[in-house]
Amino acid sequence: MSMEKKRPQLSLDELHQLKWLLGSVLALFSVWTVFYLDVDAWTLLILNTVAISAALIWPGWLARVPAAVHIGAFPVIVICFVTDLWTNGQILPAMIRLDLMLILYRGISYRQRRDDLQLIVLGLFLVVVAGVITVSLAFAVQILAFTACALAFLFVVTLVDATEAKYPPVHTPLFTWRISVATPSWIRQADWPRLFARLRTVVDWRIVTFASVLFAGVVVLSGLLFLAIPRFQLENSLFLDRFMSKKARTGFTDNIKFGDVTDIIADNGLAVSVDVSDPGQMPATLYLRMVVLDEYREDSFRLSPALRRASFGQEPNAIEVDGTERPHAGAPVYWTVYLESGVSSYLPLPGSFERLHFRELQSILNSRNLRAISLRNEPVTMTAYRLEGVNTSPLLSDPGFAENLRNPPRDRNGAPLRYTRRELVVPAQESDQAALRAAVAEITGGATLSAEDFAGRACRWLDTRHDYSLQSATPAGPGDTLTRWLTSKAPGHCELFAGAFVMLARTAGFPTRLVTGFKGGTWNAFSNNLTVRNSNAHAWCEMWNGEGAWLRVDPTPGSAPVTSANEPQGTAAFAARLDRSWSARLDSLRIFWYRRIVNFDQGNQLDTLRAVKSATQQAGQRMRVSLDRLVLAVKTWLVSGWDARRIALVMTGLLAITGLGWAGQLLLRGWRWRIRRNDNNRRADPARREAGRWLERLREKKGEGEPGTDAVWPDLERVRYGARPTWPELEKVFRRARQAWRGRGKSPRLPS
Amino acid sequence: MSTATAVDWQGPGQRTGSRWGFTWRELLWALVFPRAGQRILPTASGVILIALALGIGTAAYNTANNILFITLSLLLACLILSGVLSWFNFKAVAWRLPPPPSLRAGQEAMVTLELRNGKKFLPTYGLWFEVTTNPMEPPPVGPLQGRPKDRPVREILAAAEKARQRTRLFLRGRLDPGGAARLDWIFKPTRRGRQKLALESVGSLFPFGFLKKHIGSGLRHEVMVWPAAVEYRRHSPAAGRPHMGGERAARAGSGGDLLALRKYQGGDSHRLIHWKASARSGHLLVRQFAAESQETFALWLETSAGVWTHPEQFELLVSLAATLAEDLFRAGKLTSVALNSLPPQPMRRVRDFESFLDELAVIQPVAEERPIGRMPGSADIPPVEGRMSVRKNVITFAPDGARGVAAYVDGEKTATA
Repeated sequence: MSMEKKRPQLSLDELHQLKWLLGSVLALFSVWTVFYLDVDAWTLLILNTVAISAALIWPGWLARVPAAVHIGAFPVIVICFVTDLWTNGQILPAMIRLDLMLILYRGISYRQRRDDLQLIVLGLFLVVVAGVITVSLAFAVQILAFTACALAFLFVVTLVDATEAKYPPVHTPLFTWRISVATPSWIRQADWPRLFARLRTVVDWRIVTFASVLFAGVVVLSGLLFLAIPRFQLENSLFLDRFMSKKARTGFTDNIKFGDVTDIIADNGLAVSVDVSDPGQMPATLYLRMVVLDEYREDSFRLSPALRRASFGQEPNAIEVDGTERPHAGAPVYWTVYLESGVSSYLPLPGSFERLHFRELQSILNSRNLRAISLRNEPVTMTAYRLEGVNTSPLLSDPGFAENLRNPPRDRNGAPLRYTRRELVVPAQESDQAALRAAVAEITGGATLSAEDFAGRACRWLDTRHDYSLQSATPAGPGDTLTRWLTSKAPGHCELFAGAFVMLARTAGFPTRLVTGFKGGTWNAFSNNLTVRNSNAHAWCEMWNGEGAWLRVDPTPGSAPVTSANEPQGTAAFAARLDRSWSARLDSLRIFWYRRIVNFDQGNQLDTLRAVKSATQQAGQRMRVSLDRLVLAVKTWLVSGWDARRIALVMTGLLAITGLGWAGQLLLRGWRWRIRRNDNNRRADPARREAGRWLERLREKKGEGEPGTDAVWPDLERVRYGARPTWPELEKVFRRARQAWRGRGKSPRLPS
Repeated sequence: MSTATAVDWQGPGQRTGSRWGFTWRELLWALVFPRAGQRILPTASGVILIALALGIGTAAYNTANNILFITLSLLLACLILSGVLSWFNFKAVAWRLPPPPSLRAGQEAMVTLELRNGKKFLPTYGLWFEVTTNPMEPPPVGPLQGRPKDRPVREILAAAEKARQRTRLFLRGRLDPGGAARLDWIFKPTRRGRQKLALESVGSLFPFGFLKKHIGSGLRHEVMVWPAAVEYRRHSPAAGRPHMGGERAARAGSGGDLLALRKYQGGDSHRLIHWKASARSGHLLVRQFAAESQETFALWLETSAGVWTHPEQFELLVSLAATLAEDLFRAGKLTSVALNSLPPQPMRRVRDFESFLDELAVIQPVAEERPIGRMPGSADIPPVEGRMSVRKNVITFAPDGARGVAAYVDGEKTATA
C-alpha cells in the first residue's frame, strides 16, 4: 500500500491551455514595445491588445472563424504592408507594422509548433528593434521579461511535444460562422480560474526557486558574456536608423519663433545627461550651447543661410572631431554627454573643446567658429559622445569674426558682404529703431560703455521693466513684436528677454546673437552626474566684446547677466541642487545603463580587464603582507621567554581549541543527521509527517480522556513510528483523528 | 549478445565512481570521443536560434551596437541554460529493459521499460526511448537455394528493414524525484527465430527543444520468438485411436497409482499426507497420484531440405509442429519429441516443452536425404531413453500438396494445415 501523496500533474489539455496563455502573454509583451518605440502604430497596438486579450480569455470563439479568413489573412497582410510602404516610404516603420499584423494573426489563431516559433521570432524582432532604436532602459526590462516568458513558453511547448499526442489543426468550415466539431477539448474546456488553481497545486516551491535561481544565473551569465565577447571596431554606422526618420520633439532647430523654447520648458522629460570624469570641473551653472541664431526676421531668430554656408563644413562619417582648444597638460577630463532622442540634431556643447569622440561613425556638420555641431540626420536613438579638454568659460574666442570685422570680405564688386553685419541688424521700421535707440540712450545715459558694462546695465534695465513669466503678453500694435514687448511693461520669458537684449546691444553697436540650449540641471546624488531636463531649455545671448571673443550674456531675470570668472565649480556648487528623489534613482539606473552597457566598448573592455588584473594583484599582495606579518608575529612569540605560567596558558589554550573542535564536530554531525532524518521524513513519508501533526494536535485532548482520541492514538503512533507493513488504512485513521479533534470521536467497537 | 543482464540498470543514475557521478576526465573524454549513439542535433527551433545568434552577432559586430551584443549574450546564455537543464534532466535517471518471458510469432507481446529518477527534488521530463527488435538471422529473400551473396544488397537491406520493428516510448508527464515509471510496448513478432531486443538510444528535447539529445544505450537482449500458432484441421481416426500398448503417462493426476511424494503445500487435503514418510523425513509429505492412463504421442519432426523446398511450406510445418506439440502437451499427451536424427527428448516439464519451442524457433531445413513418399513409420523412431526400439503413436509430417502440411500418426493422416 503506497499512500504517499504525489504531486498532481497537468493533463495534456491543461498543458495546451498553459501554452495558449503563455503565447498570448508573450505576444502582448512584444506588441507593447510600441509604447516607447514612437512609431505611428497606435491603432494596431490597441487592436493587438484587445484582440489577443479577447482570444486569450475566450479561445473558443476562434473556432468559429471560417477557414476563408485564414486563407485570406496572409495575402491581406502582405497587401497592407506593400500599401504602407508605398504610401509612407519608410521601410522600418512599415516592417514594424507588418510585424504587428503578423503577431496579431498568430495571437488570434490556433498555433501548431512552428507557429509558436514564429510568434517568438516575431516578438523578438520587435523587442530588439525597439531596443536598438531607442537604446532605452525599458529595453532591459523588456528583454528580460520577454526572455523569461519565451523560455517558459518553449518549456511548455516541449512538454506538450513530449506527450506525442498532438491535436490536429482545427478545421473550420470555409464560410460558415459556426464552431467546428473537431475543436480540441482544451479549447472547449478552457477555464482559467481552474487552470490557475491547478497550477497552484502542481507547482512545487522548490522547483520555482530553482527556476528563479537559474534565470538569475542566465542574467548573470549573459552579463559576463557581454563583458567577455571580444569587440572590434569595424567603423560602420548603425543601419536601422537610416530606415526611419523622426522629427525633433522639442523644437531646437535653426529657426525659432518666440514661444518655442517655452513649449520645451513645459516638458519635464529627460533631455541630456552629462557625466564628467572629474566633477570638480563642472561649473555651478552649466550652459549647453546648441544653436546659434544670428538673423532676426519676421518675429523669429534663425541661423542665416549665409552663415550656415560660411561656417559649417561637412565632415562625412567622422567618429572624431577636433575642436578649437589646445591640448592641456595633466590628466585629461572627459565629459560624456548622453543626448536623448528627439531633442535636436544639434549637439549640446558646454563650450570649446579639444576633441569630440562619437561611439560610432556619424555624418555631421561642424562649425569651429560657432562651436556648434549638427548631425546630418535627426537621431532616432540616444546619442552619446565624449568631449575632451572642455573649456566652460563664458568667453568664446572667434578670430575669424574679428578678422571679418577688421577686413570685411567683399564681393566681386568690392562691396563688403552683408553677412558680416548680420549680427548688427535690427528691425527695419524706423519707429522700431527709434524706440530701440531711446531705450539704449536710457540705458547708457549717453556714455560709451564697454560690452560688459552695457550688458550689465541693459540686463538691469530689462529686469526693472519686465517680470519673468512663461505666459507672455505682448501688447498689440504696429511694428516689430519684440520692440513692442521691449517698450512695454509686459512680463516675458527667456526668449523675449534674450531677443530684446540682442536688439538693444545691436542698436548700441555691439554685434550680438541669440543662442539656444540648456541651462543648469540637477546633480543626481546616486549616479553623480548632471541631469538636464527639457524644462531646463533656455535662450541667452552672445555679445561681441570687441576683444576677439563672444561674451555670454544671460538677460533673463534670476541669472547673472555675465558669468563671473570666480564662479564656484564642482560638487560643492551643486550642494543645493542635489537630487535624491525616486526620479533621480530611476535616472541613475538609466545612467548606469548608458555608462556600463550602451557605451561599453573595446576600451572599457580593456579597462575592465586591467581592473580585474589590478584587483587580483593587490589582493595577492595584501595576502602576502598579512602572511608575512603573521609569520613574523609567531616567530617573535616563539622566541620570547618561556615560563611555567606561559606553558600552562598555552596548554589550556590548546585544550580549549581541541575541545571546541570536538564539540563543533559533534554539533556538525548532529546537524547533518537531523537534516538527513528530516529530509528522509520529508521525502519519503508524508504519511508519517501527517500522523505526527495529528499526534501533536491531539496531545492535549488525550489528557482529557477523550475516548475517540484514546482510540485513534495507538494507530497514529503506529503510522508515525511503526514499520510500514503494519500500518492500518491511513485514510480511515486520519478521518478518525479529524473526528476526535472536532470532538465527535467514538470509542472503537469491541470485537465480538 | 546481451551486454547487460536482465536486471541491470543503465543510465546516468547508475554511474559509480565519484560522489557526484561526474568526473572532468570523463567529460573531456566524452567531448573528444563521444559514446556510441551519443549525438546532439539541432531541432528546427535550435536552427532558428543558431541562425538568430549568427545574424545578431554579425549585426552587432558590424554596428558595434551594445543592444545587439546584449541580445547575443542572452541567446548564448539561453543555449547554455538549455544544456545545463538537459544535464539536470538526465542526471540520476536509470532505466532497464527486462526481456519479455516468451514471444510467439503472430501474437502480441509486451516489452516493459522500467525507469527511475534518483534525484532528490528535481523531476525528469520528456524522455523518449528508442526500442527495436531485429532478427538476428537475415530474413529469407527469394528461394532458399540462393546464396546470400547472390541476392541484391538492396533487397536484403529492404527485407531486413521490413523485419525490423521499432518504436519510441515516451515518458509522458513528469517522473517525480525518487519515483519510478514503466513504459510498455506491445508489439507482434512477425517471424520465429532469435531476435535482438535493444534499447537503441534515450533521447530528449528537454527543456526548450533547441537540441535533440541522444544517449546511446548498450542495452541488448537476445530473445527467442517461437513459431506462430496455426489453425489445423483434425482428422477423426487419429484422434480416437485406441491405446496400442504404447507409452503411459507418468504425470500427476487423479488416478489411483502412487506417482511420487512431495512436500505439503497450503491447501492440500490432509488425507493426502503420507504420515509414515513424513515421520521419517521430518517434513510433511503428501502423496501424489498418477493420472489415469491415456493415449500419448511422440512427435518427430524431420526438416530435410529435399522434402521441404518451399520456405512458406517449411514455416507452416514448423508452426504446425509447434501448435500440435503445444496442444498435446497441454492435454498431457506428449511424451517425447525428436528433431531429425537427434535422439528424442522427453516432455515432462514445462521447461522441456519450452526448450523444444526454442529449438523450433531456430530450426532450418537440413541437407538430409529422405525419400519423399516413404511412409513415416514407427520403425524409424529412435528409442526413448532406451526403453523401446519400436514406437507407436508417432506423429510425423509430410507435405500436403504444394503449400499444405499434413501430420501423420503412425502413417495415418491426422491433421492438416
